[in-house]
Amino acid sequence: MPGQKVTIEFNDRIVRQFMIASIFWGAVGMLVGVIVAAQLGWWGMNGKFLEYITFGLIKSEGVSFLTFGRLRPLHTNAVIFAFVGNMMFAGIYHSTQRLVKARLASDFLSNLHFWGWQLIIVAAAITLPAGLTRSKEYAELIWPINIAVAVIWVVFAINFFWTLAIRREKSLYVAIWFYIATIITVAMLYIVNHLSIPTSLLHSYPVFGGVQDALVQWWYGHNAVAFFLTTPILGIMYYYMPKAADRPVYSYRLSVVHFWSLVFLYIWAGPHHLLHTALPEWLQSLGMLFSLMLWAPSWGGMLNGLLTLRGAWDKLRTDPVLKFLAAGVTFYGMATFEGPLLSIKSVNSLSHYTDWTIGHVHGGALGWNALMAAGMFYWLTPRLWNTKLYSINAANMHFWLSLVGIMMYMGSMWIAGPTQGLMLGATAEGGTILKYPNFVETLLEIRPMMWARLLGGLLFLAGWIILAWNIWMTVRRGQAVNGVMEVHEEAHDQKEVTLKQSFINAPFLYSAGIIVLTLIWAFSPHTISLLALLMLALVCIMSFVHLQVSGKTWGQWYDQLLCSWFPFTILVFLAVAVGGVVQIVPLVTVDRDQVVEDRLQVPYTPLELAGRDIYVREGCYNCHSQMIRPFVGEVLRYGEYSRLGESIYDHPYQWGSKRTGPDIARVGGKYNHAWHYRHMENPRSTSADSNMPNYPWLLEAKTDSAALPSKIRVQRILGVPYPEMSDEQIAALFDEQAKKIAAELAAPGSDIFVEPDREIVALIAYLQQLGKSQPYTPGAATAAAAKP
Amino acid sequence: MSAPNKPSSTASAEEPALRPHTYDGISEYDARLPNWWLFTLYGAVAFSIVYWMFYHTTGMGLKDEQVLAQKMEAVAEARLASSMGSLTDAQLWEMSRDPKFVTAGKTVFATNCVACHLASLKGKEENPAAVGPSLVDNVWIHGAKPTDLRRTVTNGVIEKGMPTWAPLLGDRKVVEVVAYVLSFHKEPASP
Repeated sequence: MPGQKVTIEFNDRIVRQFMIASIFWGAVGMLVGVIVAAQLGWWGMNGKFLEYITFGLIKSEGVSFLTFGRLRPLHTNAVIFAFVGNMMFAGIYHSTQRLVKARLASDFLSNLHFWGWQLIIVAAAITLPAGLTRSKEYAELIWPINIAVAVIWVVFAINFFWTLAIRREKSLYVAIWFYIATIITVAMLYIVNHLSIPTSLLHSYPVFGGVQDALVQWWYGHNAVAFFLTTPILGIMYYYMPKAADRPVYSYRLSVVHFWSLVFLYIWAGPHHLLHTALPEWLQSLGMLFSLMLWAPSWGGMLNGLLTLRGAWDKLRTDPVLKFLAAGVTFYGMATFEGPLLSIKSVNSLSHYTDWTIGHVHGGALGWNALMAAGMFYWLTPRLWNTKLYSINAANMHFWLSLVGIMMYMGSMWIAGPTQGLMLGATAEGGTILKYPNFVETLLEIRPMMWARLLGGLLFLAGWIILAWNIWMTVRRGQAVNGVMEVHEEAHDQKEVTLKQSFINAPFLYSAGIIVLTLIWAFSPHTISLLALLMLALVCIMSFVHLQVSGKTWGQWYDQLLCSWFPFTILVFLAVAVGGVVQIVPLVTVDRDQVVEDRLQVPYTPLELAGRDIYVREGCYNCHSQMIRPFVGEVLRYGEYSRLGESIYDHPYQWGSKRTGPDIARVGGKYNHAWHYRHMENPRSTSADSNMPNYPWLLEAKTDSAALPSKIRVQRILGVPYPEMSDEQIAALFDEQAKKIAAELAAPGSDIFVEPDREIVALIAYLQQLGKSQPYTPGAATAAAAKP
Repeated sequence: MSAPNKPSSTASAEEPALRPHTYDGISEYDARLPNWWLFTLYGAVAFSIVYWMFYHTTGMGLKDEQVLAQKMEAVAEARLASSMGSLTDAQLWEMSRDPKFVTAGKTVFATNCVACHLASLKGKEENPAAVGPSLVDNVWIHGAKPTDLRRTVTNGVIEKGMPTWAPLLGDRKVVEVVAYVLSFHKEPASP
């Protein structure tokens, strides 16, 4: 019986808002990227340049809020959360309403989502340059903003799932699967990686420390790439690609297989950011192997995108939308091939800490995210404003500028990374000494590549500005319209599955069985392991045979599952949760004293802790690692390889992920105080041609010693073995050590006179103890605490 | 509403059938998974099982630290073999008159020493803000004999800001740079 006819008017206003926000923040994020790229080429870009462009009117040796260490997090956060975030919300809200035949559930929640998110971005743009940071990559924002992000994300989730609950199209399309995975997983990752204890309104320490913090961070960091930059965009691809090409999707079967394998495997790959570090080797192996296994599922997405174009390739000549989408998916394929490659331990030993990684992420961010965003925006704008795109030629121009820009960017980084990696590891005279003992030599070698990268970035930004202009002109001559759709309200005959049915069925039970047996095989002693392997083989064969016999029934079950959003969401959550549980739980529940190898970190003195917080504030970890890998080249250059116990009390950990400067895990005692003082004042006075910026404000600013009692209290709660100290005792320890360092700086023959309460003194105290650990013996933790 | 993206009539007969359901006009084929794609997936899984067994179940693969220890042993042996041995003051003076050593030393100096001692070797004498003292006057803070110089460069004087150079430069380059510095000085008349 045909039901009542209803007309839905979609909420496209929110789509327009998110789209415009994305274009704006995209330009900001890319502009900051261009600035930080220039800073890597020329140190003076953090303040000295003001002198040149104002003809000496403004005198500056360096401006704190313009330094690379503070702007780089702004760049990454702006691109990920502001640019891609807003783009994703626009795409999800636009396509979901149409795919489920329902207007967004709540206009209020939609607006709250939009304005809340913009407010968060503005807060980030203020706090990051101010040096308020948690120092965990892509998780730098301070705790009050973290809470706001979590709240707004929940608003988004409610709005989205509520819309699913009132949908008129029962069956969920593949794009919606990806959106569900995004919402669920990002919430899980974000909350766990942002667990911290505040020491003040603007500062907190993460609950995890050292190796645990590193593992949790990259479980999050890697999957921010996976579930914030990849899965939502794949969903968007599944809607806009067939729409723009006017062709059916290549393979539904491939959608099913690559979706589930992708969301299950991705979450395990995080430790590939920590290869050859002090992370236990079983975790490193998991990170590498799951990255390799991820190659095919990722390419499943690329295939489904590109092969959807079969029969429509000719349209690429005329339609800029398809040009962008096809190129975007191609870059996705490139990046997801390069990713597994870089995760192979032997390749990673060369590529890690170098520009190769930087080139790789920009292949993803510029090639995949930004090109997909542009394709989607060019498709949406004429439809949302009921007109034609203002200029096809300008869109084509944008396309080619972007393409050349990306190639210059990635090409220069492909040269710079391996070049520097090889130079740093090169030895001479029978392998006994380094061929390039001075780190700056390797930096000078790749400097031309840094300028090439800047040019590539500029071209890409120029293209983006053309897009902004083109869309602005289109909007001006059009009129905002909301999409409408006529649907028949019909009684649904599709059956839904109950929660029980979603678990008690062959496909789920086989998958669960295979996962459990694999875990038993991998982590059990010999006999049980062998037994599990045999059973695993048996179950695999059984499931294969069963699939051949009753594949149809399985297909019907899945069709029913697609009509049941809640059980579907639960299954997605289970699939993404397994990896994290297996990797993180053993490492965070183990007694920390039991995992340290042969050395244990000595807790920081109050002055050193204050200095460390300055180190964190200035974002030093953006260029300096504190993790010496077990390679001959690194041991010759930096000293013995880093042990897990040496950073076990570091909240947050400071291992770093990139070396624009040398590793400093053992810099303590290598130079005298005066060297560090001069080096922070002007790095080129101690290291000719260094590209590190000047930090003149550290010589003037006073150390925030008042915050120390609260900070040390939190450190104690987190299990750092500090003795109980009164505020006065803390102040006394602080003063004593600060005066000693200031006196040593002012030694006879020196012209350095500095008050003990200046930040430079605290920072020197911190740097001078780096690498000073104690041999580990049981019970040593308490002995360490006794040290002032 | 008509589904706009039905396959064109020119599609070959082997074209897989469309799934019955469409979403906002989007329809889907149900093509088989490409074999090469499946092999990539299965291959990666098989490799992972073997790799895990090699390194973690059987313990056949060496750990990073074990590999490093082997390599560092070789380095230590090579170091012993290539050591410059104990050179006397006289030998070092002689080297400082040999253009071969002096030119090599100049290169080492230019990359590693100029930041503190300046290209002129005058250090603090030329610019008070420089970290290192002059190396061309006749004042030697840590001993004036060539062997003292070699020791100073080798071990460094951390309190004064002079790093320990031996691990970075190696014995040969240390001697070369000492020869270069000595080339600016006169050998004292023998007693």
